[in-house]
Amino acid sequence: MKISALRLFNVKRFAGRGVAVEDIGDGVNVLCAANEFGKSTSFEALHALFFQSHSGTPGPVQALRPYSGGNPMVEADIATESGRFRLTKQFYGGRSARVTDIATGHLVAQADQAENFITGLVRGGTTGPAGLLWVRQGVTGIEKRSKSEDESETKVRTSLLQSVQGEVEAVTGGRRMSEIMGATEEALASLVTPTGKTKAGERYATSVEERDRLEAEAHRLDGEVKTLRETLDRRAAAAKRLSELDRAEDRDERQRAIETAQATFDAAKRQGETLRAAEAELRLVKEQRDNADRALRDFRNAMARAADLKPKLDNAKRRRLEALANRDTVSAAAAKAHADFEASEEMEQEARTLLARLDSALRAREAAERLADLEKKLDAAENVRKQIEDDEAALALVKLPEKAVSELEALDVEIAKLTAVAEAGRPSVAIAYEPQAAAVSLDGKPLTHGEARSYDGQAVMEIPGIGVVTLRSSRPAGGDERFRQSEERRRLLLASMGVDDLAAARGRQVEAQRIEGDLRERRARLPLFAPDGLPKLREDVAAYRAATGEVLELKGDPAQIRATHEVAQANRLAARQAWREAGPLQEGAADAVVSAETAFAGLETEWSQVEAEIGPEAARVEREGQMAMRFAELDARLVEQHLVVAQLQEGTADLTSAEATLRRVLSVAEAADREIGRLREEIAGLTAEIRARSEDAVEEKWRESLDALAAARTRVAGYEREVAVLQRLRSALQTARGHARETYLLPVMNELRPLLGLLFDDASITFDEKTLLPHKIVRMGLEEDVDRLSGGMREQLSVLTRLAFARLLAKDGRPAPVILDDALVYSDDDRIEKMFDALHRQAREQQIIVFSCRQRAFQKLGGNVLHMSDWSPDR
Amino acid sequence: MKFRFIHSSDLHLGKRFGQFSGDLPAKLREARHAAIGKLAEHARVQGAPTILLAGDTFDTETPAPEVRRQALAEMGHHAPIRWVILPGNHDSLQAAQLWSTLRADAPDNVILALDAQPLDLSSAAVLLPAPCTYRRPGRDLSEWMDGAATVDGTIRIGLAHGAVQSFSEEGNGLDVIAPDRARRAGLSYLALGDWHGGVAVDPRTRYSGTPEPDRFKHGRPGEALLVSIDGASALPDITPLETGSFSWRTLAFDLFDDNDALARMETILPEARMRRQSLVRLVASGRARLETRTALVSAVEHALPDFAWMEFDDQALITECEADDLDAIDRAGALREAADALLAEVSDAARSAEEREIARMALGRLYAYAQKVAA
Repeated sequence: MKISALRLFNVKRFAGRGVAVEDIGDGVNVLCAANEFGKSTSFEALHALFFQSHSGTPGPVQALRPYSGGNPMVEADIATESGRFRLTKQFYGGRSARVTDIATGHLVAQADQAENFITGLVRGGTTGPAGLLWVRQGVTGIEKRSKSEDESETKVRTSLLQSVQGEVEAVTGGRRMSEIMGATEEALASLVTPTGKTKAGERYATSVEERDRLEAEAHRLDGEVKTLRETLDRRAAAAKRLSELDRAEDRDERQRAIETAQATFDAAKRQGETLRAAEAELRLVKEQRDNADRALRDFRNAMARAADLKPKLDNAKRRRLEALANRDTVSAAAAKAHADFEASEEMEQEARTLLARLDSALRAREAAERLADLEKKLDAAENVRKQIEDDEAALALVKLPEKAVSELEALDVEIAKLTAVAEAGRPSVAIAYEPQAAAVSLDGKPLTHGEARSYDGQAVMEIPGIGVVTLRSSRPAGGDERFRQSEERRRLLLASMGVDDLAAARGRQVEAQRIEGDLRERRARLPLFAPDGLPKLREDVAAYRAATGEVLELKGDPAQIRATHEVAQANRLAARQAWREAGPLQEGAADAVVSAETAFAGLETEWSQVEAEIGPEAARVEREGQMAMRFAELDARLVEQHLVVAQLQEGTADLTSAEATLRRVLSVAEAADREIGRLREEIAGLTAEIRARSEDAVEEKWRESLDALAAARTRVAGYEREVAVLQRLRSALQTARGHARETYLLPVMNELRPLLGLLFDDASITFDEKTLLPHKIVRMGLEEDVDRLSGGMREQLSVLTRLAFARLLAKDGRPAPVILDDALVYSDDDRIEKMFDALHRQAREQQIIVFSCRQRAFQKLGGNVLHMSDWSPDR
Repeated sequence: MKFRFIHSSDLHLGKRFGQFSGDLPAKLREARHAAIGKLAEHARVQGAPTILLAGDTFDTETPAPEVRRQALAEMGHHAPIRWVILPGNHDSLQAAQLWSTLRADAPDNVILALDAQPLDLSSAAVLLPAPCTYRRPGRDLSEWMDGAATVDGTIRIGLAHGAVQSFSEEGNGLDVIAPDRARRAGLSYLALGDWHGGVAVDPRTRYSGTPEPDRFKHGRPGEALLVSIDGASALPDITPLETGSFSWRTLAFDLFDDNDALARMETILPEARMRRQSLVRLVASGRARLETRTALVSAVEHALPDFAWMEFDDQALITECEADDLDAIDRAGALREAADALLAEVSDAARSAEEREIARMALGRLYAYAQKVAA
C-alpha cells in the first residue's frame, strides 16, 4: 500500500479548517514545517483514519476534536494492488466511513464494510497484510515502558512492536494464535502455577488435596476396621474357651476330685497320728529298758572291781609303811654325814690360818731386803740424773747451732772471696824497692818489696823523703754491697753465737761435742739403775716401803704346819663327799614315800567309790537280783511294742502324697475359676469395645471412603491428563510460533545488517524472540544491552529496524509505507546524514514519509518535499 | 401342597456410594432401603407369605444403627409376611455383635437362619440354610444339606450364599458351592445369593440378583424372583419381578464416520424422563472426525444435567484427521504447523500410547479453541 495524499478537516488546531498534503510519491517524502504547524496532527489523523472506528469516541478520537468541538474528518488517498482508493472517515456527528475508488469515483464500501476494508489494509486477516510502520518522535519502542504507557501505546499503535505486530502475527499465527495461546494459558493457569505445581485454591489442587485426605481417611478407617475385626475374633476365641472351661460336668468333676482328695488326706492324717503315738511309746519303753540294762551292768562291774581292788589296797598299804621306814633310816645317815663334814671343815680352817701367817712373815722379810736394794738403785740413778742435768746445762751454754758454724765458715770464705775480689778490684800499689830505698808506707803501713796492696778510695802513700802521694780511685770506698752484707751477717752471726770468730766457734763446737759425748754416756747408764724409768722406780720404792709394815714372828715349824694343813684338807674333802652322797639317797627315799602314799590314796578313793556303788555287803546280792528282773521285764515290753508299731506302719497311707494330691486338685479348681473370671472380664471388655465401634458403622464408612478415594483418584488423574494435554498444546503452539518467528526473523536480520553497516561499523544485533525488539547490540566485540544505548542510537536503531521490516514486506509483495514523525531528534548531524543515506537506499522500493520540524537538518535529506495546503472537503 | 415365596438377596443395606457426590449417594441409599418395601409389596400382591434373603442383607459387619433398626422396622411393619435372613459373606456370622443385636431386636416376623439346621417354613416346606460362618468360609457350606433328614414329601428348599464354580462376585472361588447341589441334596429349589445380577444356574438353582442394582457390571435391572413350587418333585415356577428404582447402564456407542452420530447418541441414551433415575456410562468406540468428536463431547456436556450420573468414555474412539479439519484450525502459519506436529505424534508408532493419547487430546483441544476463536 502506498499513500498518495492526506487531508484533514476540523482536526485539533485546524478548527473549522482543512489542510491537505498532496502528491505524496514513492521514495522519501519530507514534510518540514515549523512547530505548531500541524505535522503531528496530520500524523495522528492519519493514524486515526486507519486504526480507529468511525463510530466510536475513544481517547484518540476525542483527541482529534478541536476545542471548539465539531466533527473531525480525515481522508487519505491510497494505492494498493487492487487499485487506488480514497478512504474517508468522519467522527462524531455525521459519522461515516467511505471507501471510494478514485478512478471510477464509485463508492466501494461504506460504514462497517469500509471499516473492514480499512482494517483489512492494516491488519490483514489471514492472507496479506499491508500495515503501516510508524515511528513517533522520541518513541522508539526500545525503552522500557510502564504498563499504562504500554496500554496507551497499544491503542495508538505507535510502538515498534505493535506496528510490526500485524506482519509478524500474520506469519506467526496471528491474533488467533495469541487468542488460542491465551485460552490455553488461561486454562493452564487455572490448574497449575508457572512452575508446573498445582495452583493452590484451584480445582486441580483441591482435588489433589481431596484425594490425599481420602487416602489418609481410608487408611485410618482401614486400621479401625481391622482393629474391630480383630476384636471380634478375640472375643469369639475367648467365648469359645469360656464355654469349654465352664461346662457343668467339668465343674462337678473338679468338685468331686477335691472331696475325694480331702477325705483321703484326713484319713491319712489320723492314721499318722496314731502311728506317732505308738512310736513315742516304743521309744519310751526302749529308753527304760536300756536304762535298766545299763544299771545292771554297772552294778555287776562294780562288784567285780571291788573284788579286784581289795588285794591291791592291802598291798599298797604295806608298801607305804615300808617306804616310811626307809626314809627315816636314810635321814639319820645323812645327818651324821653332815656332822662329820662340819667337824673336818673346822679343823681345816685352823690349819689354814696357821699356814697363812707363816707365809706372810716370810714375805715381809723378803720385801725389806728388796726395799734396801731398790733404795740404793734409786740413789745412784738420782746421781746420774743430776750429772746429766749438769751436762745438759753446760751443753746448752756451749752448743752452737750446727748450721751456724758451717754458715760462719761459708761466710768467712765468702768474705775472703769478696775481699779478694775487692782487693783484686781495688787499685793496688806495689812497689819494687830499689836497693836501699826507704820503705814506703801506705796509709801508715809500709809496703814491702813487691807486695801489692790495694786501697779503697783514697790512699796516702808516704814516701819518705819524697812526700806524700795521694792515691785516689774512682771506686767508692767500701762500695761492695754484698761484702758489706756478708760482713754484717757475719757480725750478727758471731753475736748470736757469742763468739768472736770462727776459731772460737770451732773451739766451742769441740767443747760441745765433748759434753755431748759425756751426756750420752750418762744417759746410757741411767737405765742400769732405773730400767723402767726413774718415776717408776720411785713408785716401786714407795710401794715396797708401804708393804713392809709389819714384821711378824715365826712360830712353829713351817713344814709341820703345812703337813697338818694338808691332812685337814683331805679329811674335809672326804667328809664332804660322804655328805654329798647322802643327799640323793634321802631324796630317793622321800620320793618312794610320796609315790607309795599316792598309790595308796588313789586306791582308797576308788575303794570307797565302789563300795558306795554296790552298797552294803549284805544287800548286794539281793539288789542284783532285783535289777536283773526289771531288765527282763522291760525287754519283753520292748519287743511287744515293736510289733505294735510295725503293724501300724503297714496300714498307714502316705500322708505327703495325699497332701500333694489335695493341693494339686485345689489349685486346678482355682485356676479354672480364675481363668473363667478372666475370660468373662475380657469378653465384657471386648463386647463394650465392639459395641462402641459398631455404633460408629466403621466398616460402612471405610467402604464409602474407598469408593470416594477411587473416584478422587480418577479425578486427579483426569486433571493430570488435562494439564498434560494443555502443556502439550502449549508447547506445540510455542514451537510453531517460535519456528515461524525464526523463519521471519532471519530475513529481517539479514535486511537489517546492511543498514546497520551503513551507520555503525562492525555491529550486529540480537533480537528478543518474544517481543521482536532489539535486545543486544554487539559492537567491536563488546556486547551492549540495547537499553543502555543513547537516545540517538536507539532512535536510529528503531528507524533502521522498521526499514528492514518494510523491506521484507515489500519483498513479500506487501509493501507498507514507513512514517517517521520527528523520529531523529536525538541524532547528531553526522548520523543524521547516514540515516538519510539509509532512508534513500530503502526508498528505492519503499515509500517513506518523514515529518520533521528541523528544516535545515532535513534539507540534506532531499527527497520529495511536501507542503501543507488549505483544503476544504466540499471538493 | 404348594409353596410360594419371594427369593431375593444382596440388599447391601447401608452401602454408602462414596464414589459419587452431591445428592446421589443419599438417593441411592434411600433406594436400597426402599427395596424392602417393594419386596413386601410384591409378596403381598403375589400372595407369597415368605421372603427369602439369601445373604448380604447388610453391606458391612457393623452397619450403622439407623440402617439396621430402620430395616427391621420396615420389615416388621409388613407382618404377617415373613422374612428369612441368611448371613452372607459381607454380613457373616463372624459379625457376632451384629447377629446378637439382630437376635435381640428382630420383630417376630423376621427369622434369622443362623444355624445349619432344617427350618420349617410351613407344613409343606422345609428350609435348609447354609449361613456363612466366616467372611471367607473356605469350604462348601451347603454340603450338610445332602444328609439333612426331612419328612418324606416335604418340599426342601436350600438357601445359600457364595460362588458356584468359579463364578464369584469378588472373583476368587474357594468356597465354591457345588453346581449340582440341588440334585444331590434333593432340593426342589436352591436359592442363591452373592451374584448381583440374576442368573439361572439350572432349572432348580438360581441367583436372584440384587433388587436394587449397585454397579455397572451386570447391566440388569433390579429384580427379585417369585418362586412357586407345587410339590416336592415338581419343577419350580420362577417369575422375575421388577423392584429397582435406579438403572445402571453401560451403553456402547459405535461410530462409523457417519454424520448423524449425535442423533444416534440420542437414541441410545434413555428417554428424557428416565434419565433422572439413570446412571449411564457411554462408551464410544470406532472412528470419528475431530469435528464429530468435539460435537459429541459437547453434546454429552449438554446432556449431563439430565442424568443422575453420566460418564463419557471415549478412550477407544480413534480420531481421524483430514485436511479440512486442520484447515479449520488454520490454513497456514504457526497454528497449522502446531496442528500438523500434533497429528504426526498421534500416529507415531514409536511413541508410547499415553503420549499419543495426549497428543490426540491436545489436537482436539486445539480444534475446539480454534472453533471458539473463530466464532
